[in-house]
Amino acid sequence: MLHKKTTSFILLGLAFASGLAQAQPVQATSATSTQQEINQLRQRLDELEQQQKVTARTKELADEAAAEKAKTAASVTADTGGFTIKSNDGDFTLKIGADLQVDNRSFFGAGSGSLTDTTVLRRIRPTFSGTVYHNVDYFFRPDFGLGTTLIYDAYVELKYFSRAKLRVGKFKPPVGLERLQVDDDTTFVERGLPTLLVPQRDIGFQLAGDLVKGRATYAVGIFNGVPDGSLADTAASNHRDYAGRIFLTPFQPDTKNPLHGLGVGIGASGGNVDGQALPNFKTFGQNSFLTFASGVTEAGHRTRLQPQLYYYLGGFGLLSDYSVNEEGLQKGTFRTDVSFRAYNVELSYILTGEKKSFGSPTPKRSFDPKHNAWGAWEVSLRTGRFWADHALYNDGFASPTTAAREAHEWVGGVNWFLNRLVRITADYGKTNFGGGAALAVGGNRTEEKVVTVRFQINFI
Amino acid sequence: MKRILSVMLSSLLASALFAAGPVKLLNVSYDPTRELYQDFNAAFARYWKGKTGVDVTVNQSHGGSGKQARSVIDGLQADIVTLALSYDIDAISEKAKLLPANWQTRLPNNSTPYTSTIIFLVRKGNPKQIKDWNDLVRPGVGVITPNPKTSGGARWSYLAAWGYALRHNNNDEAKSKDFVTRLFKNVPVLDSGARGSTTTFAQRGIGDVLLSWENEAHLGLKEFGADKFEIVYPTESILAEPPVAVVDKYAAKHGTTEVAKAYLDYLYTDEGQEIAARNYYRPRNEKAAAKYASSFPKLTLFTIDQVFGGWQKAQKKHFDDGGVFDQIYQAK
Repeated sequence: MLHKKTTSFILLGLAFASGLAQAQPVQATSATSTQQEINQLRQRLDELEQQQKVTARTKELADEAAAEKAKTAASVTADTGGFTIKSNDGDFTLKIGADLQVDNRSFFGAGSGSLTDTTVLRRIRPTFSGTVYHNVDYFFRPDFGLGTTLIYDAYVELKYFSRAKLRVGKFKPPVGLERLQVDDDTTFVERGLPTLLVPQRDIGFQLAGDLVKGRATYAVGIFNGVPDGSLADTAASNHRDYAGRIFLTPFQPDTKNPLHGLGVGIGASGGNVDGQALPNFKTFGQNSFLTFASGVTEAGHRTRLQPQLYYYLGGFGLLSDYSVNEEGLQKGTFRTDVSFRAYNVELSYILTGEKKSFGSPTPKRSFDPKHNAWGAWEVSLRTGRFWADHALYNDGFASPTTAAREAHEWVGGVNWFLNRLVRITADYGKTNFGGGAALAVGGNRTEEKVVTVRFQINFI
Repeated sequence: MKRILSVMLSSLLASALFAAGPVKLLNVSYDPTRELYQDFNAAFARYWKGKTGVDVTVNQSHGGSGKQARSVIDGLQADIVTLALSYDIDAISEKAKLLPANWQTRLPNNSTPYTSTIIFLVRKGNPKQIKDWNDLVRPGVGVITPNPKTSGGARWSYLAAWGYALRHNNNDEAKSKDFVTRLFKNVPVLDSGARGSTTTFAQRGIGDVLLSWENEAHLGLKEFGADKFEIVYPTESILAEPPVAVVDKYAAKHGTTEVAKAYLDYLYTDEGQEIAARNYYRPRNEKAAAKYASSFPKLTLFTIDQVFGGWQKAQKKHFDDGGVFDQIYQAK
């Protein structure tokens, strides 16, 4: 910006210079022509000043337009929560995430001869989730792990009221505590035995919400109905399963209370079934230990009940659930109710000072050996037992020489959280069985010993 | 049973009445009406409180008229629009179906409670001796006007210049186009709205003349000092008729239809007209016009219907994409 003072100074200088130049050779130049020249220079300077102002104003307008545009422009972010495209008002979002787990299983001990050491892609799950119109969430997640393609989650949730959110689609029914834990947040690479007895994913409607200022959550729903530990995309019969769960965290808001991290609840489901195929129950090493005899189906009534709790204090964690199932089994024209039970108690402790919770810990210092940062480390131990009625053998629903009616496991492990997204887990699991082998060899299936190492990355 | 029902209904009605809280209206307007509606809103709130006992708060949104219309079409939930030209409200009706096509017949004077015109604001002493439209095309004269694509006022200015040229060149379209082309060659900066152009001219010191709404010129004089600027009335100009309308769908959605209608009706009352006149909008009401006659020097005013055959035709020919203005401005 040329100020008036500067302009006058320049004009004076130019006039003086011009006067000097002309005064020496010829004295005849008139004052009028000097004045004309000054006027021309003044005009020229005015023009230059205008041009400068125009340039500045044009830039100012461009900046204003850019700022205005930025107010309504969508933002794209990439961080530990995944890749997100978000409208300026936040009402519309699309989040792209992924969940990748690679497991290596090595069996050893007496029973390892018939088991195959393997490295598998346990879960390969891209995730697309987000919000439309501020109050409608969507979530879609297929899985390409283990060489199959399945839709695991696909639902829409209307969250206009936090006390009554309506979810429709395919998702985890509200029954099992550990099942409801996000796959990447479980303490061990495989969930405990009670989770074998609750549905995995089902299609239906669910109403859920927070009550008593977040101290309680509830969920109730109607689903197609799936066998234990299973998922399906269609209903097996006209019957429906009804599921519900209530979970209390009574000391939740008071972070100073040592019981702040206590949560207790109960999940349940019930419904009729009509000739539904039965699943195989698998060990920690993912081998079937209970396979039903050919032609056995689920028929009649199926009820599941699961008392459950967790408790977290500092780096310490306890999670326990107990599944009680009564299920009608049918072979030919014979049908009877058979009970299945399983419990699980798991303990864990984070050695590096992070707090344990139902979710994964975020390391205080992400792994960076050059700066002496080693992430978060956790040790864990669990025990659990699964057992079914003697009717399983007595009524011919399973063969005592091939199917174990009981399983008792011990698992110990170490979790290394390199950062918030990357985790390496090494678990040693030992499972003993009741039944599942010929009497000639003792009647009990040989114990399974396995070390599973998982490399996991997830951002959802 | 009937008695029970009527008791229940009465209770509901009573609770609804007692629960009636303050009403909020959103008036989406064009750039230079800020001061007018600040005054008017306060007067209307007093009137409405006195009449109904209900408090009313009117929120204002201002910007280039075309831009404001676009915002309403895109979802800005205006209860009322008070824009610079009827074409912009037509666009809201046609594109978003938020009010009926005959909206302009719902209020007197084609729903234009006040009028205005385009005049000149020049620097004190009028150093470039700008007296009429033909002075604006002289080389070396810097003309400040907003972009006709986004500003209603700029469209009125453009058409005023075009109309002047037509009327002085025996309706020769080619000569008018040449005239307006030369005028826009003298425009160094295009703001998006009238208020931005005032800033460019008065605060940034750019240009020799601001083509301005009449009220905006008086406001500039008051705000920036009569020692710095002066108003020049050209021999003739265009009669600008800024229209007003209730946005039916949004008003119904907000439950504000009644108060929104009353708001616009109030613009036609003596008090509404006087507030318009005080803010240098030419009132329709003869009483107010007579009272404030000295504020509005007489000049020949031609209408858009007379010269251009109405807004639809003018818009299509001059301001639609690829229209005459685009040709002129790209040529620049």
